[in-house]
This record gives sequence, C-alpha cells and structure tokens, in this order.
Amino acid sequence: MTISMNTILGLSALLFGIGMFGFLARRNIILMFISVEVMLNAVNLSLVGFSWHMEDPRGQVLALFVIAVAAAEAGIGLGLVIALNRNKPGAGVGDLTELKW
Amino acid sequence: MQEATFYYLAAASVASAFFAVTRRNPVHSMLWVLALFLHVAGIFLILGAEFLAAVQVIVYAGAILIFYLFVLMLLDLPGEEARPRFGVHWPFAVVAGLSLGALAWLAQMEPLVIEKAAVAGGGAAADTPELGSLENLGTQLFGPFALPFEMASLLLLAAIIGAVVLAKKRAPAS
Repeated sequence: MTISMNTILGLSALLFGIGMFGFLARRNIILMFISVEVMLNAVNLSLVGFSWHMEDPRGQVLALFVIAVAAAEAGIGLGLVIALNRNKPGAGVGDLTELKW
Repeated sequence: MQEATFYYLAAASVASAFFAVTRRNPVHSMLWVLALFLHVAGIFLILGAEFLAAVQVIVYAGAILIFYLFVLMLLDLPGEEARPRFGVHWPFAVVAGLSLGALAWLAQMEPLVIEKAAVAGGGAAADTPELGSLENLGTQLFGPFALPFEMASLLLLAAIIGAVVLAKKRAPAS
C-alpha cells in the first residue's frame, strides 16, 4: 500500500471521467460549469503527481496556471449565465435554442 | 499512516465528485464540490505541494466556489429540483465518461519509467528549497515562467473586463 504514480494517475482519470459525465449529462448550465471544475481539478492532481514523482516544481507551476485559467473561465462563464438569464429566465441549456431573440 | 490518509482522501474525493454531479439540488452539488476541493487539497499536501494546497483552499474553495454560489442564489432557480436531473441522452454521457476513464486507467496500468528531468534553474545548490515551497515556486514563476505569468495576469484582466461587459445592463435601445 504505497502511493505510486500509477495510483495518482488512476485517481485523476476517475475524477476526470466523473466530471466529463457530469458535463455531458447535466442540463443546468451552472452545474455543467461545476463539472468542468471537477475535470480541471483532476488535471491539476495529475500535474502535481508528476511534479512529486519527478521532483520538479514545474508541474506545480503549471497547476497554478490552470487555477488562474479556471478563475477566468468562471468569471466569463457566469457573466454569460447572468446575461442569458436576463433574456430568458432559468438555467437549462435545453431552452437556449436560438442565437438571437 | 500516510498511505492510509492518501487512500481515504482518494476514496472521499471520488465519492464527493460523484455526488456533486448527481445531486438534484444545485446547492447540494456545490457543497459536494467544496468537499472535493478540500480533499484534493489534502492530496496536494501529501504530494509535497504545500503552497498549491493553500491556493486550492483559498482560491478554489474560497473564491471560485463562492462566486458560483453567489450566481446560483442570484438566479434563484425555482423548480430546479422538479426538473429532470439529466438530459434524455444521459446513458451516452455515462458511456463517454466510462470509456474515457477506462482509457486513462488502462494507460496507467504499466509502471511508469520516467527519467528525472534536470530542474531548470539548477538544483545543484546545497540548500535546495523544498519541492512545493513558496520560495521554489516563486523562483520558477519569476524566472523561466515570467512570460506565462504575465500572460496569466493579462488573461485575468481580460476576464474581469469581459465579465463586467457581459453582465452589465444594456442601455435602452436608441
């Protein structure tokens, strides 16, 4: 029962699969964004795992950049959600079938 | 002891990710994602990424998640719990998630043989700082990663302006 790189990668793969399922299956736009965050976390986990395995801090630096991009994505995405909600109440992506209204 | 903690954190993070994408109530989903973020921060600690664990708790759990919760409460979605949880195509989503997970799982079955790369910036000094320490990461960020670091700040600025423009009330059409 030692921690190996394979275990970390397997855990990361599982989390990524769960996040991908959530993104494809949920119909609420905010929960789809949250699933994207789960996937980003899985990627961060594998980056940190590689950094730990190779004793190289560059993986952690990349994970920091991933966090910065996630913050930007959350800001833009939720701004879009608010703008959409003003035109059409609700957060279901099934209702958004027109580009302009 | 460390192994037991790691396996607890791994199992708990998988469970909370699963609950996060399957709960009917969006606020419950958010709280499960919070649990996921905290457990992943614990795994970061075990993997020697102390600074990143702190960033994970402060930025992810503290800022991004609260932002999501704010928007969720701002929208005030009535009847969200009454709607179907998944789209009608959800079995396909299960297949896609499972096959991607299985692919990555198969890819990691063989033991990894990776040559340890020479750390940029020279790790030959007698007093090399610890792997995940702020000193080490800061040296990287302001050394070889200075350009991407500045680009990240530009990206965040663009995101701030974009979010303000998108969420602003439109002036009445003239």
